[in-house]
Amino acid sequence: MTPKQPPAGTSFKMERVVGIVLRSGVIASTACLAAGLVLALVVGDGAVAAFLLNTGILVLLATPVARVIVSTMEYVNERDWRFAALTGIVLLELIASAVAALVFNRKL
Amino acid sequence: MPAVSVTLALIIFTAGTIAGSLGALLGLGGGVFLVPFLNLVMGFPFTVAAAISLTTVIATSSTVSAGRAGKQLINMRLGMLLEVATAAGSFLGGVTAQFVSQSVLQRLFGLVAAIVALIMLSRLRRRNVILDPNADPGLLGGRYHEEESGCTVTYHVKRLPLAVVASFLAGNVSSLLGIGGGIIKVPVLNAWCGIPLRAAAATIIYYGRGQLVPALAGAACLGVQLGSWGGMKFGAAASSKWLKILMAGVLFIVSAMMFMRGGR
Repeated sequence: MTPKQPPAGTSFKMERVVGIVLRSGVIASTACLAAGLVLALVVGDGAVAAFLLNTGILVLLATPVARVIVSTMEYVNERDWRFAALTGIVLLELIASAVAALVFNRKL
Repeated sequence: MPAVSVTLALIIFTAGTIAGSLGALLGLGGGVFLVPFLNLVMGFPFTVAAAISLTTVIATSSTVSAGRAGKQLINMRLGMLLEVATAAGSFLGGVTAQFVSQSVLQRLFGLVAAIVALIMLSRLRRRNVILDPNADPGLLGGRYHEEESGCTVTYHVKRLPLAVVASFLAGNVSSLLGIGGGIIKVPVLNAWCGIPLRAAAATIIYYGRGQLVPALAGAACLGVQLGSWGGMKFGAAASSKWLKILMAGVLFIVSAMMFMRGGR
């Protein structure tokens, strides 16, 4: 019994790419956050520590976004337009939050 | 916002470790414990607590999804479909949080904490999968090989519109309250990779608003990652039944405290 399923090869490959993107994003941000925290606590608040901490947070926030970009590219590559459109909408929603973040930031 | 001292960073790191390991053991993410600690005990504004907690949600759920990728545990297609709703919910949650007063958020948290406790008690031993390897998963369903039982598990997507609505609510409530995994549990989403996105949109907004303090979020993130790693590594051996009952009790107390604080 082999049930109908989408071709396993491509989506399997995409899963692996997505896994690599997520893992490297978390590792990079964790490294930045840990280094920034140690620096801030040992040396005291400085520009370098603040930069490392902010970079860590931004990399972490960018990780799920990067995941969506990778998925969108893969769906376009597979010419699976329905799912390319869906991932595109998710991407737009994330861009909308970045815009909202900028708008709120200016209001402060 | 107080200056970040060694003591404060250590307190938040420790709280993150405990919340992370509890979250991993109970399968619901540590946010539901971390937010009340930061808000009620440490006295941070609710949105600041939520922003810190959501950051840890992104970190842990990204790690979990990365570990699952390539093992065909993730149903990418269903995940993407539901993420449209989840991300919209998260965006809306992040925006709403800017306009709602702290006492409203606290009362809402009190309500959700009580619901989470009840769900936890009702699911002491439950799985949401069909154990027949020959069942047809359909277009959006899927199957994965489970190491635990050694069989291939198939799951269907029942009532897709309901799943979409639930995903929207999950994104919205979790972003508004700073809680992450599995709070509003859509059955099939056990093996789903959409959880980072549930938090991402709102966290970007919190960051833009200056409610996300990098040093505090960093300390919490490191703690939660350590805790959930430990919880997942050593938790498999332990029976979680009594822990669930105990933590449901804790959540009822948290719920009552949130209602008392929010009622003032």
